[in-house]
Amino acid sequence: MSRQRTRRWILLGVALGAFLVLIANTGWWETVLRSLFPGETTVIHPRASLLVLVWEHIQLVAISSGITIIIGIPLGIWVTRPSGRDFLPIVTDITSFGQTFPPVAVLALAVPVLGFGLMPTIIALFLYGLLPVVRNTIAGLRAVPPHLLDAAYGMGMSRLQALFRVELPLSAQVILVGVRISVIINIGTAMIGAVIGAGGLGSPIIAGLVRDNLAFIIEGALPAALLAILADQFLANLESSFAYISDKV
Amino acid sequence: MIRLHQITRRYEETIAVNGLSLEIEKGQICVLIGRSGCGKTTTLRMINRLIEPTSGRIFIDGRDTASIDAEKLRLSIGYAIQSVGLFPHMTVFDNIAVVPQLLHWEKKRIARRVEELLELVGLKPAEYARKYPSKLSGGEAQRIGVARALAADPPIMLMDEPFGAVDPLTRERLQAQFIHIQQEVKKTILLVTHDLDEAIRLSDRIAIMESGRLVQYDSPEVMLSRPRNKFVRDFVGADRALKRLSRIGIKNFIKPAATVNVNRPVKQVIASAGSYRWLWVVDDNQRLIGWVDRSTLAQSASIKEAMDEGDTGEISLSDSATLREALSRMLGLGFKCIPVIDDGQRLVGEVALGDIEAATTEEEDRQ
Repeated sequence: MSRQRTRRWILLGVALGAFLVLIANTGWWETVLRSLFPGETTVIHPRASLLVLVWEHIQLVAISSGITIIIGIPLGIWVTRPSGRDFLPIVTDITSFGQTFPPVAVLALAVPVLGFGLMPTIIALFLYGLLPVVRNTIAGLRAVPPHLLDAAYGMGMSRLQALFRVELPLSAQVILVGVRISVIINIGTAMIGAVIGAGGLGSPIIAGLVRDNLAFIIEGALPAALLAILADQFLANLESSFAYISDKV
Repeated sequence: MIRLHQITRRYEETIAVNGLSLEIEKGQICVLIGRSGCGKTTTLRMINRLIEPTSGRIFIDGRDTASIDAEKLRLSIGYAIQSVGLFPHMTVFDNIAVVPQLLHWEKKRIARRVEELLELVGLKPAEYARKYPSKLSGGEAQRIGVARALAADPPIMLMDEPFGAVDPLTRERLQAQFIHIQQEVKKTILLVTHDLDEAIRLSDRIAIMESGRLVQYDSPEVMLSRPRNKFVRDFVGADRALKRLSRIGIKNFIKPAATVNVNRPVKQVIASAGSYRWLWVVDDNQRLIGWVDRSTLAQSASIKEAMDEGDTGEISLSDSATLREALSRMLGLGFKCIPVIDDGQRLVGEVALGDIEAATTEEEDRQ
């Protein structure tokens, strides 16, 4: 069980290393893309190196997902406490609305207020990724068997102690699934940031669309897809170390 | 000592517990019993304030529990429930250590205590401490549950059907062990059950409840011989005479048995056998190994040859057994008397059917 987990972590590390080597070697990309698209004069987006683009992309996702987690998980916890229970319907409605509202529309509305660049993109990504985190936090906490809480309180735990010692460890897996979904959505959605100058892997894609250059689009899309797979596997590994409910009880 | 004074708990329209007063003496086991929905669990949960009474007061050693911080109160009361409620993300060690950790005990002291408790409930610390609850059998989990409730050595224990979720055989073993543990730790225990046999077996006093009210509060012997009203009579059942036998140990009914050493010459035995038809055969260490019929003895060269080698575990009783077990065993085997052995398999005597009969009629006459 745990040996299997260690092996998965090692595999992931190897994959990450391969990914870094791949994006650091612009020469390789150029050779491959040139052989695929001999008609194009340029096959590598000239604005920045691939490494910089990936780094910008990771920053965008990390900041917006970070905010999503910092706000989403406590929000989910709060509405399952007696003090916040009345707000549960409102919070679920608002977060659902956040996801149905297209990120492009958020950008369009935010740019006049916040200007171009990072801020409006981060807000759009935050709103878009909030729902899975909040929803899974609520679902995870609600799935904690009531008799375990009865035991926790009956033994003398305070509400806070029960939350940190029992409820959160037991719901961690479900919460992490929400985080994973949110992060994956954000890696894809962060592309639109390029429209308003936030950089990232969206830049070559936008440029490729404008200039009708397929090589640029692949330069942006392929690393983004690999990034999503890596993040997905990383978070999936993290989840499996909290798999109490499924393989125990 | 726990004292409940005129406790009432209302839920909008319904009254779960209605003006209940109860006193549990220090070091005693009080069993709350009744049909489901009679308010027994609500009563239990009001003592550690998981449920607050609508009116009435509860005193522990003279202190009103309403004046004690609820969490502090609960830390000083052991709590074991039917579903056990072991935390699946913690090892057995960490589960037992929960309350000591909440009380900020030193690490070494906690480790020592956990080991002690695992030994107390009969589980090897080296084998079980690192296990997760998912790897335990039902009976093991229940025992860990009891160990966890005992962790910080609370003077009071509340137990809600602590042996409910296991098969009857395991339950009986756990109950026997529980009686043994209680003799050692001497806690004041309030135990909720709907199993009358369990109540009779474990309790010093039984409290029977019906629709939120206390119907009768007496020792099991009194409850069985003098039920207060029709409800209690129906509850304890028509076989209450038989049930009462399970409260009487066989110790006082053991009589000297006719025994013979397996190595004694046959002739000598026949001469001294008197009027006995059966003789229990023992070895040099007084251990029971079988029995012999006097009529077959005459034709045999040695006792060994004439002897019926029974499974001694099957045909004998332990000296801690009850009259009910003795009776049941005799009926099952078709014996009119049954040998009794001690922990070392040594024969200490026998119990006769006639004496059990006499014991029951004697009890009836006394009333």
